Amino acid sequence: MQTILVCDDDKQIVEAIDIYLTGEGFQVIKAYDGYEALELLEYNQVDLMIVDVMMPGLDGIRTTLKVRENSSIPIIILSAKSEDNDKILGLNIGADDYISKPFNPLELVARVKSHIRRYTQLGNLNQQNVDNVYKCGGLMIHDDNKEVFMDGDPIKLTPIEYNILLLLVKNAGKVFSIDEIYEQIWNEEAIGADNTVAVHIRHIREKIEINPREPRYLKVVWGVGYKIEKQ
Amino acid sequence: MKKTAWPMALKKHFLLVLHGLFLCLFLSGLSFIYFNENYGRGVSWLNEESYADTLPFTEQLESDVEMIFKYVKYKDLFETDGKLDYNKDMVCVTFTSGKTMIYTLNDMIRAAKSWGYYLTDTFQVAGGPPVHERDTKNAAIPLIEWKTYDPDAAQNYSEPGDAYATREELALEVLTILGEYFQIQYNYMDRPSNLYFRVSYMDNDGTERLYTNAEQYPLEDLKNLGRYLYLSGDSIQIDTNLTYIPKNITSELENYNLYGNTDYYIILGLDTRYPNTDPYSLAHNAYTKVRVNYITGLILFAIGCMGLLATLIHLACLSGYRTRERKEPYLSYFDRIPLECGCVLFLGCLWCWSFLSASLGTAAARLLVDQNHRDFFVTVVCRVGIYGFCLAEGFSLLRQYKAGILIRGSLTCRFFEWARTAVSKASFPSRITVCFLGYLTGTSVLLYTIYYLYRNRQLLVVPYLFLAPGAVLILFQVWTFLLLYRNSGETEKISFAIYKMSEGDTSYKIDTTGFSGKYTDLAETLNNIGDGLETALQEKVKSERLKADLITNVSHDIKTPLTSIINYVDLLKREQIQDEKIQRYLEVLDQKSQRLKTLTEDLVEASKASSGNLKLEIANIDIVELIHQTNGEFEEKFALRHLDLVAGLPSESIQIAADGRRLWRVLENLYNNAFKYAMEHSRVYVDVSSRNDYVYFTIKNVSANPLNINGDELTERFVRGDVARTTEGSGLGLSIAKSLTLLQGGQFEIYIDGDLFKAQVGFPVLKE
Repeated sequence: MQTILVCDDDKQIVEAIDIYLTGEGFQVIKAYDGYEALELLEYNQVDLMIVDVMMPGLDGIRTTLKVRENSSIPIIILSAKSEDNDKILGLNIGADDYISKPFNPLELVARVKSHIRRYTQLGNLNQQNVDNVYKCGGLMIHDDNKEVFMDGDPIKLTPIEYNILLLLVKNAGKVFSIDEIYEQIWNEEAIGADNTVAVHIRHIREKIEINPREPRYLKVVWGVGYKIEKQ
Repeated sequence: MKKTAWPMALKKHFLLVLHGLFLCLFLSGLSFIYFNENYGRGVSWLNEESYADTLPFTEQLESDVEMIFKYVKYKDLFETDGKLDYNKDMVCVTFTSGKTMIYTLNDMIRAAKSWGYYLTDTFQVAGGPPVHERDTKNAAIPLIEWKTYDPDAAQNYSEPGDAYATREELALEVLTILGEYFQIQYNYMDRPSNLYFRVSYMDNDGTERLYTNAEQYPLEDLKNLGRYLYLSGDSIQIDTNLTYIPKNITSELENYNLYGNTDYYIILGLDTRYPNTDPYSLAHNAYTKVRVNYITGLILFAIGCMGLLATLIHLACLSGYRTRERKEPYLSYFDRIPLECGCVLFLGCLWCWSFLSASLGTAAARLLVDQNHRDFFVTVVCRVGIYGFCLAEGFSLLRQYKAGILIRGSLTCRFFEWARTAVSKASFPSRITVCFLGYLTGTSVLLYTIYYLYRNRQLLVVPYLFLAPGAVLILFQVWTFLLLYRNSGETEKISFAIYKMSEGDTSYKIDTTGFSGKYTDLAETLNNIGDGLETALQEKVKSERLKADLITNVSHDIKTPLTSIINYVDLLKREQIQDEKIQRYLEVLDQKSQRLKTLTEDLVEASKASSGNLKLEIANIDIVELIHQTNGEFEEKFALRHLDLVAGLPSESIQIAADGRRLWRVLENLYNNAFKYAMEHSRVYVDVSSRNDYVYFTIKNVSANPLNINGDELTERFVRGDVARTTEGSGLGLSIAKSLTLLQGGQFEIYIDGDLFKAQVGFPVLKE
């Protein structure tokens, strides 16, 4: 059973998270400010930490920094601050994820699970590109048997969706325009391409992303094209 | 001990009194000198310390030498063995009757007495018969055989002469000579004299004839008395310590040498201690007194001068200050009179005083002062008065100078200042008029001068002088041009500044250095306007930012409780409550909490977008691609409401400069708008077209509900079609879309035509 440390100065939120996570079979330790969280971390085996930013005493950012001094457990920041700057700051100082309030409880749970899986099972695997296996973060494609795994969970894709994803994963980081994707997949010249590719991409995103509106892997470069973020 | 600090006023009064005292000293010294009998001889005569060195002394000595040689003559005439002998023969006459008479001294005196003659106490002949009683015709005029007092016949009774004289005349002659004898006797023999003399002639037999009043003194003693003169017959050199030699002494000495040899001498000795009262001692005392007086006068004069100068300088330093620190100059009432008026007043006072002192002063002087000192007195009074006025005026000027108002306060300066202000503050038309009139006047005067000089060029010293005003005319024109040039430069600067400000550069400032008159005011006013605009703009930006910050913070504070609401509503829903009513309530709670969430997020975004408080990442993007992507995102969503998305897109890409994510947000809002408000089972038209270097994206749909507001209002915050108010959405979507578009430099328009809703986003096309 994995232990999750939840730290927020709002007791009701901590309580709610506790209910959701306990329901998913996690053990939850509750802290109400940064100092308490650090103290609890010392005496408990913690697998993941959820921390609020705006807290009295030691705030979430400082707490994260302190934790990162001697621990590499996944840290999810949960904050009412939803500006880009806040997210960038949180991720830069060592957090693994940033969820803004008000959050979807299911998304939170999904992300917690994803991070724990990655931390406990997949994180230590050596990245190997043998036997037509393509990996990108938590995304893994076994090209031989046409299987796609997201954080270990199998994902069902149509053949066209699979081909598009494979193309993007093989060229992770490169941006493909709609026309390029069309030409590569359909092997036809794109004449006045329509929304087909965009719709497929959307479908793929809905399947592999926890929050399709804020994708982690398949990103839309608006007005340019699509790409798989290099992890 | 600390120096006692005198009050300033007391100090000044003391100095003034001191100044007056020194003036008195100066004047008394002056009068000492002026009334000295040596006034006008300069000061070199003061070197003649002793009376014996002066010319008056020499004159006295010369007359004494004459007397001495008269004594030499008369002694032999009247004396026998050193005593006055009345029985000595004086004159021998032969009457016409042939009778020869020899008269003794006694006879002559008696005869003189008989005619009424006598000697005064100063041995002058006086008395005598009245003139009309003199009987010259009838009196027998005898022939003078010889006269013993005739120097030429002194030695031998020579042959009968051929001169005739009355007895009266002869007696008078004798009496006069006798008087002189007595006088000499009285001056040098009977009374002690400071002048000692000794005249000695040696005849050929070796008999010495000695004439002296200093028998007892040897020759050397006489030389040691003080001043002496020794002249001997065997030398042409004079042995003396006198400054001036009596001119007659050598000739007189030679005249009385009867023996034709060189064995004679004369010595004069003056006892310079002046123990005896005689003309020398009197003159000496007077001389000493005069000299002392003169020196005293000079000293007083010098001290007075120095004192005057010193007190004057000290007063000049103190003048104009009230305190010892010599700060804050002060002025008396008199000092506030302008320079020109002060000068006129001063000159008037001087004139009045001169007039008064000349008339009244003379009258007063007649009462107080004797004739000799009157002119001096009047002059002194007049000059002292003038000096007083000069002093007052000088110190007044000095105070004004120290206060810095000497020139500034003068009428001329004030007039120019006034004229300058009047011209520079006058309105532009009147200023131009004045300047133009001035220009015309200047030019015409110069032209006429040229003409006049040219006409009369023959009279000029230098014929080409008529060209000089021509040069001045050219300079005048150049100067005028420069002024105009500067003015137009200033106008140019000002209009440039106005142009700049109208463009939005409110911080633009005109550099007013070198500006003149009204243009300075104009430029400064413009700068002030710029400042005001700048301030207002900054205030606005600041308040927008504050508002955005406030909204952001408030939204943060709302989000935390909202999180709990959403979470617990969700938890409640999971409780599998069977009661349908509760389920419906929960549904409402869920919906509204979700809407609150959207609202808070949109609110932050809207405030940021409208305040421009966003960081844009402008890049080259293909708008056609973007529409494709967006269509892909929304196709299925639209299908939910049975909306048909009809896209009219060009096949080639169209590049624009925009922030992809923000532009997506714009499109997303527009698509969402169509999704929410379009009539079901209708079509949504999306097309992209380019014209005039602009690419326009248009989305058109038919509203499900009637639109009773215009397009502009729709983009206002929180404005929606009335009916739409109850539906999902924050009402900020179009506002955000518009703000973001404008931020990226695009155009955003909404058109409403009946139920047709049309939104258009335009961006400039990037050229390849």
